[in-house]
Amino acid sequence: MNRHGFWRDVVKHRTLLLMLAPAVLYFILFAYVPMAGIVLAFKQFNYAGGIFGSPWNGLDNFRFFFESGDAWRVTRNTALYNIAFIVVNNVLQIAAAILLFEVAGKWFRKITQTVLFLPYFISWVVVGAIAYNLFNYDVGTVNVLLKATGMEPVDIYNTAAYWPVILVIVSAWKAVGYGTIMYLAAITGIDTEMYEAAEIDGANVFQRILNITIPNLYPTVIILVLLAIGNIFRGDFGLFYNMVGNNGLLFSSTDVIDTFVFRSLTTSNEIGMSAAAGFYQSVLGFATIMLANWAVRKYDKDRALF
Amino acid sequence: MQNKKKSAMLVLTIVMALVLFVTACGGNNGAQDGNQMAEGNKAPAAGNGGTDTSEELQLKIVMVGAKPVDYDIVFTELNKKLKGKINATVEAEFLDWSDWTQKYPLKFAANEDFDIAYTANWAFYNDQALKGGFLELTEDMLSKYMPQTWAAMPKVAWEQARVNGKLYMVPNNNTEVTDKSVIIREDLRKKYKLEPVNSPETFAAYVKTVAANEKGMSAYGAKAADGWKWHELDQILLEQQNEWNLVDYNIPLAYKLDDNTGKLFNVYDTPEFKSLLDYYKDLADNNGWSKNVVSNKNDVWQDMKAGKVASYAQNLGTVAANVAEARRDTPQIEMAIADLTPDKKKIGAISTQNGMAIHATSKKVERSLMFIDLIQNDKELHDLMMYGIAGTHYEPVGDDKYKAGPSAANYTGFSNWGFNSPLNRTDASYPQEAIDMAAEWESKLYNFPLETFVFDDSKVKNQVAGVGNVMLRYAIPLEYGLIKDRDRGQEELLKQLKAAGMDEIQQEMQSQVDAFLAVQK
Repeated sequence: MNRHGFWRDVVKHRTLLLMLAPAVLYFILFAYVPMAGIVLAFKQFNYAGGIFGSPWNGLDNFRFFFESGDAWRVTRNTALYNIAFIVVNNVLQIAAAILLFEVAGKWFRKITQTVLFLPYFISWVVVGAIAYNLFNYDVGTVNVLLKATGMEPVDIYNTAAYWPVILVIVSAWKAVGYGTIMYLAAITGIDTEMYEAAEIDGANVFQRILNITIPNLYPTVIILVLLAIGNIFRGDFGLFYNMVGNNGLLFSSTDVIDTFVFRSLTTSNEIGMSAAAGFYQSVLGFATIMLANWAVRKYDKDRALF
Repeated sequence: MQNKKKSAMLVLTIVMALVLFVTACGGNNGAQDGNQMAEGNKAPAAGNGGTDTSEELQLKIVMVGAKPVDYDIVFTELNKKLKGKINATVEAEFLDWSDWTQKYPLKFAANEDFDIAYTANWAFYNDQALKGGFLELTEDMLSKYMPQTWAAMPKVAWEQARVNGKLYMVPNNNTEVTDKSVIIREDLRKKYKLEPVNSPETFAAYVKTVAANEKGMSAYGAKAADGWKWHELDQILLEQQNEWNLVDYNIPLAYKLDDNTGKLFNVYDTPEFKSLLDYYKDLADNNGWSKNVVSNKNDVWQDMKAGKVASYAQNLGTVAANVAEARRDTPQIEMAIADLTPDKKKIGAISTQNGMAIHATSKKVERSLMFIDLIQNDKELHDLMMYGIAGTHYEPVGDDKYKAGPSAANYTGFSNWGFNSPLNRTDASYPQEAIDMAAEWESKLYNFPLETFVFDDSKVKNQVAGVGNVMLRYAIPLEYGLIKDRDRGQEELLKQLKAAGMDEIQQEMQSQVDAFLAVQK
């Protein structure tokens, strides 16, 4: 009986299922199948043995990470940066989306949207080069301007304290356009009757935003934030590596798990040790997302991811 | 029928050719062999025919460096000749400089289909040999399939290429001194009436004077951000000056060249290092280099050519090529090569500086070895591989020199150095002072028992990873004079190294050194 019902459902929803198929296939191929490679984290990899034939070596691969004494620092940095990125980027994205929605001119809206979106397509390598030309001490634009106006130049590349701010700004600059479009789509989906009703009741722009737009955005915000939280222990390697590079003076405030691992293993190419670091990030990420989802569930069952 | 006949003829020719090599080599050894052979003297075939080359094979080679523009032209020509000689053609794949360090290990990890790979002590040789990426080469194989190389290569070169007693590489056959020198702006030195630069002190005077007087110019240039864990002058001012040798550039452990017991010490924990820090700090405080040197992303040589940098340190070969290039392109700037440690012992490059290895899973081992043998020893093929097509990419000058041809730039910049041999030509525009300097260095070449020692870090790889990280984070800024309090900086560096497991590395390395020396005695 049951099976019959299952097949009837398949036939009935065939178009939808077909549309879903590429995504499912993608995840099976690139997320589930490679998962078996996780065993590498516990192995002494060699080419003769390959992934499954290499000898086991227990927790040896994890030692470099924890014995260095840097594990806590880089894990903390990674989490804090990602929290800052999530908060700042989402607030800016929502703000930009609401502003764009409220602005009437169609042309203005389109152009602004494009300009905001543009940085998203610039590669981190290029962003890193732009940053160097802006910030370097001798001939950087910022310092040339400072000197021209008679002020003392700032030694940005040798001062760790500036970097959290710089990195958050750069990340926002690059990510705002993309998120804005998602939120704009969500806002466009809000029932216009609500706005009409509010207007008739005499609500002004701010009241409309505060009482209609924002509450209606909650589900989108929660989903996007939950998805982002899953990656909270994964540093954006492109961002950190290209902005900071191998500048040891900045590591105290800019080193994230990914750059640390890259630096440690780039000369030794120990696949097992890199796998161990990836495994560590995945476990932490999994724990965080479970926790976050549980918290959301407790607050409102319908809004949790699962 | 027709086909069969053709291939039979081909086999015959190849066997003949092969025999020719084998017999010609037996007679006299040494570098000149190749020359004679290329002329193709028709000595009567004798002895064993040996290898079956009836099947036409395509060999795949992995090279590092950018694919030369005229790759197709040169390799088509090369393949025509190769086909006649060993019934094989080659196809090269190039791993660009920008990301070869990532791609190279992946080629092996993914077990891609290739037969020969460029390798070197700085290009994963030990790493891949220990991981089983390369095929072990036995003396039987070498003497059978590469008789010319076997005869021409000094025995010590093979010995130097052994990893844990096993050989995985056909090293290049080339003597070279590894000492570094600096290139300076001779015109600026004259302008400020400075003494000739030939010591750390005269160099400091040069750097400080240029920094003080030439606005918008960096007196010394370095690319400190590319992952190198030392100040770019360290090899000169720390190693050469004190006659030390660092075992592995990822670990700050060295021994004294004349110490036969091979006692290792932490170079960061020496009075010599401390006084070098003072030297560097003095230069840094006098704006000798950019304050943001560790974030520099520019090509130092290009900056120097553009007049933005007034000195930098490199291998003699590179620096000499730079000088030649500058004389050609920017005659208004006068450059000179300076040796800051002229009276010290010189260290020779060990053979693994460049070489070719066979992929562990190659099914065309014999032909691959024959190919390497030919390229190293056949004058005609060697010239093609190294310099391209005569008249296009280079103009031969006599038998051992060449001039850059009209499209020299279209065939250069990749690791054909793996085939270096006594057949190499030198650039006719190569500055005479560099040739003299090299000759003088070679006369001061110092050989020592630990020369060929290679550290196997597999037991302490966790600590090595940690120590490398500490060097980048604490030593580099300290050496470039970016830390205000040097004493505290050095203390912190030593403390962090200890925490990262420096002592265990030292113990492990010392025990390997002792074992190595015990075997040699």
